[in-house]
Amino acid sequence: MGISMNTMIIRAAILSLAACSRLLAAAPTPPLAAERLSVAVMPPANPHRLYVLDEAFFNEIDSRVHLFDGDTYRRLGQIDSGFTPGFNLSPDGKTSVVATTYFARGSRGARTDVVEFTDNTTLKATHEIVLPPKRAMTQPTYFSLGFSTDSRFLYVAYITPAASFGVLDPVKYSVIDEIDTAGCMLVIPSGPNRVSSICESGALLTVTLDAQGHEASRAFSETFFDPDRDPVFAGAVPMTNGYAFLSFLGDVHEVDLSGAKPVFRSPWSLLGAADKSAHWRPGGMQIGAIHRHLNRLYVPMHQGGEGTHKDGGTEIWVFDLSTHRRLARWPMAAEKLSAVLAIQVSQDDTPLLFAATDQSDLGVFDALTGKLRHIEKHMGQTPWLLLNP
Amino acid sequence: MRSIDHLFEKSSRALAQRTSRRSLLGMLGQVLTGAALIPLLPIDRSARAAEAPATHANSKPKAAKAATDDPQSCDYWKYCAVDGFLCSCCGGSANSCPPGTTPSPITWIGTCHNPSDDRDYIVSYNDCCGKVSCGNCECNRNEREKPMYRPSRNNDLNWCMANADSNYHCSVSVILGVAEK
Repeated sequence: MGISMNTMIIRAAILSLAACSRLLAAAPTPPLAAERLSVAVMPPANPHRLYVLDEAFFNEIDSRVHLFDGDTYRRLGQIDSGFTPGFNLSPDGKTSVVATTYFARGSRGARTDVVEFTDNTTLKATHEIVLPPKRAMTQPTYFSLGFSTDSRFLYVAYITPAASFGVLDPVKYSVIDEIDTAGCMLVIPSGPNRVSSICESGALLTVTLDAQGHEASRAFSETFFDPDRDPVFAGAVPMTNGYAFLSFLGDVHEVDLSGAKPVFRSPWSLLGAADKSAHWRPGGMQIGAIHRHLNRLYVPMHQGGEGTHKDGGTEIWVFDLSTHRRLARWPMAAEKLSAVLAIQVSQDDTPLLFAATDQSDLGVFDALTGKLRHIEKHMGQTPWLLLNP
Repeated sequence: MRSIDHLFEKSSRALAQRTSRRSLLGMLGQVLTGAALIPLLPIDRSARAAEAPATHANSKPKAAKAATDDPQSCDYWKYCAVDGFLCSCCGGSANSCPPGTTPSPITWIGTCHNPSDDRDYIVSYNDCCGKVSCGNCECNRNEREKPMYRPSRNNDLNWCMANADSNYHCSVSVILGVAEK
């Protein structure tokens, strides 16, 4: 067990070096400056901001809207949205509206249905309108609530399950009226004073309001799809002057709502013969997005049969709405993304495509090239509706 | 008298124009359905049941995935259009609500094929209500499910909506009877 002189010298040298480095490390460095607690300020609005409605399906009374910046990939803040909410933005993008339900004892107790207004520049709740306890409790759609184009009225869908809708005053924050829709569902606003609802028969009911927000007239359209053979998804895709309703089997029914009566363009199919025989079809929770200036339609597509209309897209297909030609197919597996349940595109000249998956990830793509820019992992629990200004 | 006849004719025609026979059935279905009201169901599921095998034949493997007899599995044949949490994984069973919850009196109706006896059954998909979502055994199947503008065949609605406590907890599948072919 003897230790040689050399070993002792080496050990002593190491010890003294260690002591020196401790002394060096202990040399005074400037302390961190005292911090001041503050509240972050929302950055200015920009077209790449995304509002992600997280239904929080596994604890459904606690849904929320995440605000996400598609340029910096940062979360900007949150709007709370209660139980099975409807969500929308004002036409100027400055206000968020949430139609939701709260229970007096958290998960139980007296039910209060309410529309809440949030200032998107501060994310503070500013006003509310208490509703009759009739609000449509549904999975998220575009058509749970929405503003008239001039923001004079706000409409909210009721289902008890009898269907009607509320006309609200978003200036005086009051309920103006309730309008029975004879079994037709949801609210599709158009113009300053019209609301359409989708009927079981495959028609639209359009109610026209007077200047005070009460019913002036109503009209049923012709039937524009066959709800037995090939129903359209209830959540249609906003386009210039109207909406594109996509059917389970991939037909596109474009509806122009700019006039007093809906105008239905000739339906066309997303699918060629080979696509049909390979069982491609659209599916998911939010089944399309349209860039209005480019006139491009983005659809999550999957291969499947009857009953797969809520399966997410394994590919995103891009179409030119003028020619109905498919411009691109973007497979998600190539980007290590799972099936896409919800999709949205920004409306600017350098557009971003957002795609939320069934694993709750959010893919951010260049909407012109399909190049993946970013994957935001775990964008909430169940992100099922994506909105932007 | 003629004017009264005329009035009634006019209002009846107006009603008929506004309301399809199917929507009337649908509305009745929404309001009257529920396991306790089996004999009242005037639902023409037979046509849809008859179309089911043909539709399945065209389906991709996922839709036709092998059914099981395990009521805690989403592949259990009776769950062919459940969208929610299986009550059998939440303290209840395929046809009973967990303790402390309340069944929804209104719901929607579907048709599922039982591979064991090769019969189609009419199934009532009731929700169990009054507690926050169970969060266990999520199951989302949509065979013959239709969008919410056809509520009597839709699973996107919270069918606890008319309960005193309308919070959604989980879903059951209750056999109402054999679908006549």
